[in-house]
Amino acid sequence: MSQEPDVVTRRDFLRTSVLGAALSWTVPLFIERTFSALDAEAAESSLPVATGKDHPILVVLQLAGGNDGLNAVVPYVDDAYYRARPTIGIAKDKVVNLNGYIGFNPALAPFKTLYDEGHLALLQGVGYPNPNRSHFRSTEIWQTASDPNKIVRTGWLGRYFDSCCSGEDATVGVALGGQLPQAFTSDNPTGITLNPGSRLGFAKETDASEQAVFNQLNGIDHDTVSGASIGELSGPNSSGMTAIEYLQRTALDAQIGTDKIAEILRRVKPEAIYPKTQLANSLSLISRLITGGLPTRVYYASQGGYDTHNAQENSHNRLLGELANAVSAFCQDLKSKGIFDQVMIITFSEFGRRVAENASKGTDHGTAAPMFISGGAIKPGIYGRPPSLEQLDTGDLIYNVDFRSVYATILNRWLKAPVSKVLGRDFNPLAFV
Amino acid sequence: MLTPLPSSKWDYDAAGHLLVRAGFGGSIAEIQDLTDRGMQQSLEKLLNSVPAASIPPTWAYANSLRDLLDQIRSSTTPEEKVKARQAFNQANQGQMADLIQWWTHLMTDTNAPLLEKMTLFWHGHFATSATKVKPAYKMWLQNQTLRAHALGNFGTLTKAVSRDPAMLVWLDLASSLKERPNENFARELMELFTLGEGNYTESDIKESAKAFTGYRINRIDQQFRFAANQFDSSIKVFMKKAGPWNGDQIIDIILEQPQCARFVVTKIWRFFVYEDPDASLVDELATEFRQAHYGIKPLLRTIFSSEEFYSDRAKGAIIKSPVQYLVQARRSLGVYPPEGRALANIYRQLGQVPFYPPNVKGWDGGKSWINTGTLTYRYQIARALINGIRPEQAGLPKFPAKTAASTSQEPPRQNVVASMPSNLDGTPGPAATPFPPLTSPWPVEKYVNPEDRSDVQRLLEKLYTQIFQSRPQPDLLKNFVKVASNKTLPLDDGSIRDLVMLMMTTPNYQVS
Repeated sequence: MSQEPDVVTRRDFLRTSVLGAALSWTVPLFIERTFSALDAEAAESSLPVATGKDHPILVVLQLAGGNDGLNAVVPYVDDAYYRARPTIGIAKDKVVNLNGYIGFNPALAPFKTLYDEGHLALLQGVGYPNPNRSHFRSTEIWQTASDPNKIVRTGWLGRYFDSCCSGEDATVGVALGGQLPQAFTSDNPTGITLNPGSRLGFAKETDASEQAVFNQLNGIDHDTVSGASIGELSGPNSSGMTAIEYLQRTALDAQIGTDKIAEILRRVKPEAIYPKTQLANSLSLISRLITGGLPTRVYYASQGGYDTHNAQENSHNRLLGELANAVSAFCQDLKSKGIFDQVMIITFSEFGRRVAENASKGTDHGTAAPMFISGGAIKPGIYGRPPSLEQLDTGDLIYNVDFRSVYATILNRWLKAPVSKVLGRDFNPLAFV
Repeated sequence: MLTPLPSSKWDYDAAGHLLVRAGFGGSIAEIQDLTDRGMQQSLEKLLNSVPAASIPPTWAYANSLRDLLDQIRSSTTPEEKVKARQAFNQANQGQMADLIQWWTHLMTDTNAPLLEKMTLFWHGHFATSATKVKPAYKMWLQNQTLRAHALGNFGTLTKAVSRDPAMLVWLDLASSLKERPNENFARELMELFTLGEGNYTESDIKESAKAFTGYRINRIDQQFRFAANQFDSSIKVFMKKAGPWNGDQIIDIILEQPQCARFVVTKIWRFFVYEDPDASLVDELATEFRQAHYGIKPLLRTIFSSEEFYSDRAKGAIIKSPVQYLVQARRSLGVYPPEGRALANIYRQLGQVPFYPPNVKGWDGGKSWINTGTLTYRYQIARALINGIRPEQAGLPKFPAKTAASTSQEPPRQNVVASMPSNLDGTPGPAATPFPPLTSPWPVEKYVNPEDRSDVQRLLEKLYTQIFQSRPQPDLLKNFVKVASNKTLPLDDGSIRDLVMLMMTTPNYQVS
């Protein structure tokens, strides 16, 4: 292990930057304001910077497009389910039973194994009051943790970074995929993005093995899937900065982050076998970065294609299978490295889908849906009630767990952060941690 | 109140600003030409240029993939079907890569840049992705439809899009049934295309979805077909108006809403001027837009002749989209992006692939173009454009594949499927010769006078004017001069290329 400090200060970096010439004259405009403030903060707290090795880590998986919760976690003893879904309902004999009332879609069988091992919590009927059925607005509500009638610009994880990781470098949040999720948006932009297919570093020659990893992530050839019109959902990454200031800040973050990540990927090679899917590749990369000691608190990856308005059976099952197999491989990998206890994985989707199937053998936008939580140190079980299929709100499920209670639980009991500071007020925690 | 730019303020920088924003920038000579014409004439030239006839892609006819589609249908075993589908997908992806290149060429070579810029705007507005829509012919058809109405009338355009075969597939109208209408199109029509979220009710969605029934695609010619027997002719109550509305009538009712004009005007302003127009400005433009019956040209004329468009608030406020980045580099600097699959890969890594918006909302634009991943890649691609793009920089193999034909030294050509480099494990590959670059280095001698190689100040002023599409800002220029002063005079090609690359990696180059 290197004895060097984990975090190179931004000033040190500037002196040694490859593109020093390009950066050093453009940076001072804004560095004087921001970085002197950061230095002052750093001087105040003489605490060592926590690394990924001894800090709880959260991995957020976004299922973009609106995951059909009722075909993922199936209320297979309820006849109302089969009445509402005569053609796309999951047959009773195929369901992987959980508790005699609900069961997993067979594609989620690996989740049953995790559940049996005590490493999976299932949260049922998660949603929020006055649900919005727009992909974009509902995604925004989940990402910002706002009340449905309020527009909030910053993301819940961005506010967590701001309140708890201020002064640390941008790799406290790492998103895989082309865009920074709105959940990372903060007043003080934080978080770096690894663009699948992109190379690391500015203009330096990169190591072929890093290239291979990123090439693997570069999934161009998606087959047609129903639901593809909602592929990657993202949000605006706005902040109070001007375009130029924002560019300068990003250039710095890129340099610092990519240098570190490149160093880790050179050092930590992939060991475990993962399925050959984009999501699994993302999780494999995350595992290496955790092992390598990147001081990241939150990793973010997403899987698109859940907007299943049309002929959903094959595509939805395929997506669920990809999800379960990728998460399962990730958990195995973390277990074998002895760091499973440090990591929590959560899934979310902007909404579930209408109870009744539509004429195109698909389902339209709905409301409440389940969340899956996995990790070595979580309290397994089934939380929340399965939403009633009889008492509906204009054809949609009524939520019984507010998603902000889930966030509050994670913030308070896992990330050890002040809930009201991040979410604006307190929410009743759940018992899954 | 929007006031027109006084003619005294029309200068080279204003002309450059107009050409970059209302088009994709240009050479020093082109900007000088607009400067000399004055604003009115320049604007009319941009608004009224008739595009030269463009040659459609060779495969752009309804049945170009018919045989492969028939093979899928006639497959009898699942294995056969999988194989047939793969063959179809491969051919279709080849066509899509070709289509991306076709449009990129059109944007770089057109004599009607505003028409292409506006077509690009509408593509992001009525965002439709080839991930779901197949074959490529449908995407090409939609592109033609957007271009045909790009500077025409917004109502006519919206109705044309509602019948567009690619859209019918994308938002499931083609499979909507009279008995159970699919709501996908109706929702996005109001949320994303005309009104914005919060300006309609869930009931408006359900009711209007009934009006958009009977929309089908003719299998033979791939064109819109109205199936009267699938149309729900019942009375619908939409926006508090009851009637047996059809789809066009629903769009007409939407156009009556003042919010529709506000929504579209805001989006156009954000695309062309800056991100956060004041409400009063939006209202003023929206009123004018409605009075002009949603004519797009008059709206653009008002915007591009306003003093606000040329203000300090507007200048440098827009982060270039990846398409703008590549096309403008070509038009202003003369650097060539590569072709085919390599071009598509570069677009992907920059964060915007034409015909593949991330979702139906289109590209968020603005700051979302830039993150640590895409910015890093912009630096790399700047270097590559100047020095010549090597295959691996465009996601293609660096070395000839080991297995296929290790003897083949042929460079990757367009539509070659990207594959892994041979030395995956990080060990040096076999002693294979890397493929040659896909593009040539920037021809320094074409743009730099021999005598300027010894006059750093003059050289850099010229390069600056060409690269930034405006006269030099002394504060920025002096940094380049400082770097150049440390080099040996006269500057050789390599040093000059380094300087050009340096300019392209400044934050200032990422904005317009």
